[in-house]
Amino acid sequence: MRNDVRERRTAKGLAQAELARELAVSRQTINSIETGRYTPSLPLAIAIARFFGSSVEEIFHADHD
Amino acid sequence: MPTMTKTNRTYWVTPAVGVAAGLIYLIGFSVGGKPGYGLIALGIMVVFSAGIALAGRRSETVRGLLDHRDERLAGIDLRATAVTAVVMILALLAGFVVEVARGHDGSPYALIGAVGGVAYLGAVGYFRVRS
Repeated sequence: MRNDVRERRTAKGLAQAELARELAVSRQTINSIETGRYTPSLPLAIAIARFFGSSVEEIFHADHD
Repeated sequence: MPTMTKTNRTYWVTPAVGVAAGLIYLIGFSVGGKPGYGLIALGIMVVFSAGIALAGRRSETVRGLLDHRDERLAGIDLRATAVTAVVMILALLAGFVVEVARGHDGSPYALIGAVGGVAYLGAVGYFRVRS
């Protein structure tokens, strides 16, 4: 699943570690999400979307979209 | 550098279980008349427990495996546990077959396997109701 987490994070001027701290996950998990190796659970996806003031669909995109 | 800096109670469960296991080993060896071996076993478990607790302060992965707050690392832990269980089942089956081939009754492998089978069925039933 593709996502815009990296673009949104860098647009805010945040490091992976800072975003990880905000979301109470590890920096490795943020990196895995950004590179598409890990698809977050619905609660974490919602937390990410809320952090960036967006909806889940605006940040995460199914591969067939 | 770890990003999750606060420790929670879950973080200390594995080290505490390690020390508790060491104490149980000590009791077991003492009852068996070999308290020296028990002290060595307890020492190994205390060092192991302290080692993983300290490693969790430096490694995000170890920390995540201990405190289970990171969902990705919790998932990795779950899958690694499943792989470990499969390996243990294969070892159990191999041990059982060897014992039976030697003309024995297959113990203790048969009993351990039965406990595992009952535990699996109980877990499936529990999680089926809960989810």
